[in-house]
Amino acid sequence: MVRPIHNIVIVGGGTAGWLTAGVIAARHQGRMKTGFTVTLVESPSIGIIGVGEGTWPTMRATLEKIGVSETDFFRECDSAFKQGAKFARWTTGAADDAYYHPLMLPQGFTQLNLAPHWLGGGGGDRTFCDAVCPQGALCDDGLAPKMITTPEYQAVANYAYHLDAGKFAPFLQKHCTQKLGVRHVLADVESVIQAENGDIASIRTKQAGEIPGDLFVDCSGFSALLLGKTLGVGFKDCSDVLFCDTALAVQVPYERASDPIASHTISTAQSAGWIWDIGLPTRRGTGYVYSSRHSSEDAAHEELARYVGPRIKELSVRKIPIRSGHRELFWKNNCVAVGLAAGFLEPLEASAIVLVELSAKLISEQMPANREVMDIVAARFNEVTGYRWGRIIDFLKLHYVLTKRTDSRFWIDNVDPASVPDRLKNLLHLWKYRSPWFFDEFDRLEEVFPAASYQYVLYGMGFRTEVEPEDNEGTQSMAARLISENATLTRQLRAKLPKNRDLLQKIFDHGLQPI
Amino acid sequence: MTNVVILNSQLHRTLRVQAGASARFGDDRRFVQVIANEFPLLAIHYPVFFAKDADTGAFYCGAMLGFDEGENLFLEEGRPQSAYRPLNLQRGPFYTAGNELAVDLDSPRMDGEAGEALFTPAGEPTAYLESIKAAMRELRDGLERTKIFIDTLMTLKLIEPVNIKVGFDDGTKRDVVGLYTISQDALRGLPDADVLELFRRGYLHLIYLMIASLKQVPVLAQKKNRRILAQSESLGLARL
Ligand SMILES: Cc1cc2nc3c(=O)[nH]c(=O)nc-3n(C[C@H](O)[C@H](O)[C@H](O)COP(=O)(O)OP(=O)(O)OC[C@H]3O[C@@H](n4cnc5c(N)ncnc54)[C@H](O)[C@@H]3O)c2cc1C
Repeated sequence: MVRPIHNIVIVGGGTAGWLTAGVIAARHQGRMKTGFTVTLVESPSIGIIGVGEGTWPTMRATLEKIGVSETDFFRECDSAFKQGAKFARWTTGAADDAYYHPLMLPQGFTQLNLAPHWLGGGGGDRTFCDAVCPQGALCDDGLAPKMITTPEYQAVANYAYHLDAGKFAPFLQKHCTQKLGVRHVLADVESVIQAENGDIASIRTKQAGEIPGDLFVDCSGFSALLLGKTLGVGFKDCSDVLFCDTALAVQVPYERASDPIASHTISTAQSAGWIWDIGLPTRRGTGYVYSSRHSSEDAAHEELARYVGPRIKELSVRKIPIRSGHRELFWKNNCVAVGLAAGFLEPLEASAIVLVELSAKLISEQMPANREVMDIVAARFNEVTGYRWGRIIDFLKLHYVLTKRTDSRFWIDNVDPASVPDRLKNLLHLWKYRSPWFFDEFDRLEEVFPAASYQYVLYGMGFRTEVEPEDNEGTQSMAARLISENATLTRQLRAKLPKNRDLLQKIFDHGLQPI
Repeated sequence: MTNVVILNSQLHRTLRVQAGASARFGDDRRFVQVIANEFPLLAIHYPVFFAKDADTGAFYCGAMLGFDEGENLFLEEGRPQSAYRPLNLQRGPFYTAGNELAVDLDSPRMDGEAGEALFTPAGEPTAYLESIKAAMRELRDGLERTKIFIDTLMTLKLIEPVNIKVGFDDGTKRDVVGLYTISQDALRGLPDADVLELFRRGYLHLIYLMIASLKQVPVLAQKKNRRILAQSESLGLARL
């Protein structure tokens, strides 16, 4: 007998749970009439992690698809614009050592790779980022990536968000339950009932009894209740590659209500890790992610205090242990894990929430019609998701292996070849002689980090690809044209875009138009 | 500079205002905000669109008077304008402040003896001033009503962006962006109940006036083209 997949049960009501619920429910709205259900079960006592405030530009499409108004999202989640990340002191550790990883592609990226031309001197004395893209200059100027007349979700310069994680989950909850027909059950899962083949038949809760389902999505956070605890899928530890295992988080108020809001994440390297700094309209979210093998908590606290300033005494610092790694499988039987239950890597490039979005999208698009085909879908999901985790690990490690810092064990240990994944080693070797471009390396349809991201980090950190001048000859004039077009665009955007805080205030006062 | 003060029959008894249309007085505008009541008068001369306020992003209705910054193709210097003149231009240097009428004393419309008197020697408002007061009242209520009209259309998703591209005989092209109009596809797809509601509120009429006014775009382009030709002819003559 063919068993159709009709009842989706999501365990966990954090960012991962509600995003997954929204994406699935929006995609399968039409089937709701015929008995398709999405149920989200969430513990009333175990809180959500409540951190994770930087996203990828994919979030725009995700929110639009689930039918959220961007204006509401800005107003209710204290959201702000993010145009990329600035990495300070990662290369040499000097006070003026910084580069941008912006969200716009280099000018003309699909037609020509500008990197070899810049390496050959075609960008003059500009940094790679400034030579090929306006966004570093926009961030320097504290400008917003659009105007009040730009419609919701549309951009003048590509952007993602900074948001208040404590407000995001409740915001999504309201939308999912009121607009998308998601059933919300506040109950603690106490045990799980499995069928003979190992499938999860139902979950037994303290407050709401037994809840059966056809497909279970494990969004239970670090506890990985279903995929880890029940189905016994192992955890692949990555702390030999990425050393950070502890975070100290603190929310810092602005000194004056008129203080500028940075429109990019600032990541400043420290002696045993790095400090994130995320500007919301109401406050800055900051925190030190460090390796406890390389620093004591007291020393880390001291470094964070030096960054935040004396006010840290009045603020509450929260310690969050983190474990680098991911599940060996992400989908087993009729259970798929999303979010922290699937794994976690240090939040260096805000890759967690984007992976949640990509996973939720994959599940909803590939939603198995019945139990019989589910294993095929699961195998594909595992393959794609495994690839993505591997790529993210490589990309995060890239930020470390290019450092020239030798001022602490942390940085010295990070360049130890034994800690570098083989694939990354090979790529670095390859990139000595050929710069990454979208053709040759990054062929996946939904690559988490495009080749452009690798370019920005590589050349931002002073990596040199050897280029033969002859190789550039045929495309020299086109490169010169693209670089000069970028200079013009930069000038135009700097003249017309408003200050980040001013636009956020306007969105609060007047809203953005949907068209 | 502006110097806006509340109008006072004592202080401003002898004030005169040049009410006519002229670039000198600030009629040199490419686009001017209008209200829904004006649509019947406007639509036979001007294309009427929605546009966004640069400061708030809010939609408003406006009449298109030209293609370039500061270009009002309906101005006929030295002669009274033949086309209906939008209230926002008719109002000249006047503003409303609360319930009072205010006037910009620094407006170029008020530099001297010429023009319309505001008060009789006895201090009574003149017919001109009464007409201004009426226009200001109409504008104020009309803006509110037009906003509700726009909100209704937005809710029904009846507004869509339109891109106007025109070429002129001197070889130049214009690409006018930032304008919006009625989506005729969305209109056709509207449920019966919504159509009836639009009709009962008088909105269907306004909608069709806006759609009809699109036909004024090529007329406006011809007007500009004639100017371009006239200009190049006079240049040609000068060279002879
Ligand atoms: C320090 C730090 C910084 C980060 N920064 C970023 C960032 O900048 N960008 C980014 O993309 N990501 C970031 N992340 C990751 C991001 O926070 C998470 O990926 C995201 O919040 C998803 O969390 P979650 O929903 O999986 O888990 P949680 O928020 O932990 O939610 C778990 C849910 O499971 C429920 N639950 C648990 N047990 C039970 C039970 N027995 N019965 C019922 N319900 C149960 C809980 O009630 C809760 O609702 C960061 C993470 C950390 C730790």
